[in-house]
Amino acid sequence: MSASLAPECNDVKERYDTCFLKWYSEKYLRNTATTDECEPLFRQYKTCLTKALKERGIDQMLEDAKADNKENDAEYMKPSAR
Amino acid sequence: MVKFYSNTYSYDYNFPAVSLAYFLRYPNPYSRHVASTDTIERYFDPDTQRLTTVRLHVKQSRLPPAVLKVLPKSAVGSDENGRAQSFILEKSVVDVRQGWMETESKNLDWNNVLSVIERHTFRRPEEGLGTADHRTDVEVSVTLKSRIGEQLRKKRQRWGDQATASSVAGAGGEEEPVVKQGWFSSWSSGAVRAAVESISLQRTERSQPKAQL
Repeated sequence: MSASLAPECNDVKERYDTCFLKWYSEKYLRNTATTDECEPLFRQYKTCLTKALKERGIDQMLEDAKADNKENDAEYMKPSAR
Repeated sequence: MVKFYSNTYSYDYNFPAVSLAYFLRYPNPYSRHVASTDTIERYFDPDTQRLTTVRLHVKQSRLPPAVLKVLPKSAVGSDENGRAQSFILEKSVVDVRQGWMETESKNLDWNNVLSVIERHTFRRPEEGLGTADHRTDVEVSVTLKSRIGEQLRKKRQRWGDQATASSVAGAGGEEEPVVKQGWFSSWSSGAVRAAVESISLQRTERSQPKAQL
């Protein structure tokens, strides 16, 4: 299992990853998935991770990347003026 | 200036196996430089059965000595051994119904030196059942762009050309003011950009075949 950049989240991350891999291979890839069953675990993991990212100042970098993407989408999806 | 690399090949494994392998890429003994992988978003659309994932990887590696020599010290955030850390954002969409997967990975930092965008498309072959079931077709494309000196150039344009502008042979014959009191006396920033992109393209070409899962 891969490590998390925040060691304090490793446990909850491992639980989520295990759930995801099981759901992905047994349900999703067989086209029998109806919902994301691992969502509750993901929310726990995400809470831990968000806190860690904020502490390390990485969340700003991610926000900038998201803003960049929105700009790119707006630019590339503009109807071309002909 | 941008450098571009692309390749197509196929794996002798079916699409579900390949898409699962993609999520299990790390850790592996050939990629010890990847220090961590975190899933930061995951969305399952029950109508289209598409799974969208965003992950963040942290890579620790050494800058190629060739690049290290060419870069200004201000752009390099590494220790004296040239070891540096970089964040990679990976977005992927899997469509199990239509049998394709598209991914895009790019670096979040170091963009002023080099930006690398790597895209993969994995697809179940179109041919009828039988032989096609155990193959997955792959298209890879890598875009490399260096922006060294761009900030400096923009600043100079704003203040008017105080530096003597002279055309420099190299980097596609662009006209550029020579960087005065520069970090590297004879190279213009355009030449540095081209050098960084070329070195990165060579490394990409060498490492892509090895990176085929």
